[in-house]
Amino acid sequence: MNHAAELTARLQAQLPTIQNELPGSHESWVRVMRKRALDSFFKHGIPTTRNEAWKYTDVRKYVDRLGAFAVEKPASEISVEALSSFYFGELDCHRIVIVDGRVSSELSSLRSLPAGVRIESMARILVEEAYLLEPYLHDQHLSGSFAELNAAVMHDGIYIDIPDGVVVEKPIHLLFLSHKRDEDSSHIRNLIVAGEYSQATVIEHFGSLGGSRALINVATDVELHAGARLEHYKLQQSDINEVNIGSVRVHQHRDSYYHSHSVAFGAALSRRDIHVEMNGEGAECLLNGLYLVGGRQHVDHHTRIDHVRPDCRSRESYKGIIDGRARAVFNGKVVVHTGADKTDSAQSNANLLLSDRAEIDTKPDLEIHADDVKCAHGATVGQLDMNQLFYLRSRGLTVEEARNVLMFAFADEVLAKIKLPEVRRYLERVAFEKLPGATALEGMLV
Amino acid sequence: MLKIENLHVNVGGKDILKGITLDVKAGEVHAVMGPNGSGKSTLSNVIAGHDGYEVTSGSVIYKGRNLLEMSPEERAWEGIFLAFQYPVEIPGVNNTYLLKAGLNAKRKHLGLDELDAIDFMQIVKEKADLVQLDHSFLSRAVNEGFSGGEKKRNEIFQMAVLEPSLALLDETDSGLDIDALRIVAGGVNKLRSPDRAVVLITHYQRLLNYIEPDVVHVLADGQILKSGDKALALELEERGYDWVLEETSV
Repeated sequence: MNHAAELTARLQAQLPTIQNELPGSHESWVRVMRKRALDSFFKHGIPTTRNEAWKYTDVRKYVDRLGAFAVEKPASEISVEALSSFYFGELDCHRIVIVDGRVSSELSSLRSLPAGVRIESMARILVEEAYLLEPYLHDQHLSGSFAELNAAVMHDGIYIDIPDGVVVEKPIHLLFLSHKRDEDSSHIRNLIVAGEYSQATVIEHFGSLGGSRALINVATDVELHAGARLEHYKLQQSDINEVNIGSVRVHQHRDSYYHSHSVAFGAALSRRDIHVEMNGEGAECLLNGLYLVGGRQHVDHHTRIDHVRPDCRSRESYKGIIDGRARAVFNGKVVVHTGADKTDSAQSNANLLLSDRAEIDTKPDLEIHADDVKCAHGATVGQLDMNQLFYLRSRGLTVEEARNVLMFAFADEVLAKIKLPEVRRYLERVAFEKLPGATALEGMLV
Repeated sequence: MLKIENLHVNVGGKDILKGITLDVKAGEVHAVMGPNGSGKSTLSNVIAGHDGYEVTSGSVIYKGRNLLEMSPEERAWEGIFLAFQYPVEIPGVNNTYLLKAGLNAKRKHLGLDELDAIDFMQIVKEKADLVQLDHSFLSRAVNEGFSGGEKKRNEIFQMAVLEPSLALLDETDSGLDIDALRIVAGGVNKLRSPDRAVVLITHYQRLLNYIEPDVVHVLADGQILKSGDKALALELEERGYDWVLEETSV
């Protein structure tokens, strides 16, 4: 029996029992959903590189972590001060802190919320008001083994519900921190329901308090009703030994607006799947992404945008800088369905390779079943521009400074699309520290 | 200040400069004129240190030092400035940041203290006014989305801030209307001083109406065919380049 099969057998023995102890198991629809998700997971198994969607991303090294669950309550010795390095300067926000997959009410601070807005622990909602979730949580929602496993064993996460017409002015900062150092896994489930013509900014932020070796498997469902506007951030600053796997599934109704800013700096292995379905006319979506990896890091982004209805507009731009022996994967699919006329879609992926041993596998993918559409896509892989380097050096910058300035400028084109200046500055600083030898460039941040 | 002797330069296997000799003294303005493809831009790029050019023989001595051994940034610190014929757009890099980094690197090299932000902004605004560059350009990305004329003016603005000892202007006049040309020339004339030198590379005599050269050279087919005073420029304007080529091919 091979390694993965052995693990699967172990999970097969263990999980059905665990499932009965998970929040929400008193509700039959939750039990049914978990059971079906688990069956699908066992049917598909842990993905290998023979699976097309995981062709370049090999998780074998880390799957052992799936054998243990971070189920016990986290230690509460974390101080608020320890968290402050993950704050966005003076930005005033609603903050929920999730430690090792569990919502910590002591560390969280909700400002006064507009009437009717709910920001709650998913575990609590599963136990007390599971009916609220029924229209939105389905085992088929998210595809792929990790999403199936998530549906089967999710234990906590954040539930956000914004009523029709309500504008949540302050950003909602969801801070997911790893604290323990065990090789285990946590399965986090988030749901964001934005009512008609509501507005919000939700920041999913992953970080480590040091030394974590967890596998984080997070799934987020987003339901945007007619005219709703959501700015959704995914900021991944996981520990260098962590594995961060996540998927986002977005349903867009008429005239809704979904902007995603996905930034991946950390983790040994990180994988993001974003699937946006534009189910209503006049919807707009922007997928903006940046990855900076070095050493032996591995980062994989899979996105899919379905233009189901006419008159929708999608923009996608991912950029990456890959150094050392790191490897990046980008797979961006856009599907224009029959009848989705007047679709306007543009997608690009640009990469800078800083070393001979760095690798990028990029595949923009376009599938069009409608006439009268405007679609563009493209990918580039390159080194720094020699003429720009010479220009900067001729003005007195050393070759190292010039290289760093150009790298930073390349990355900053992505960060410049971020509307919250405090978040942008925070990420610029983190990006800066990630770049080789960029310490002398403070002035660029001004 | 700058002494070039028998300089041969090869680009991509092709000889572009075939024995240039040029002596530029402090306080002088030299105009290098010539038809397209004569090697004018190659000459300025080699002096500024572009590594796409191979010097096969000859020497370039600047302030008594072997210039060819110096990196582009060291040349900049030592006072060489090239105003590019086609200034590069650098999205994401702020114009003011570039100047501050460049100027402070130069000051550090010369053993001077770095300028504080207030003093620096004072200089920058003063120089921007000198070339009538709107202050909004200061916070924009280097050359990004600038018109042709704005890019050229930005080059002269940078030159004014960096105060080089030797300024090379590579066809800075091309594509400028008369008003812009006057402003650019005004910026160059302000820089003229007994301890500085200027090399103007140009196709047309027009710029020389505003910046009076001490010496005019005709560069064609990689060689300086003729040198003279400003009267030579006027003669070139009137008669074109062919007569020089004919006269020297004998």
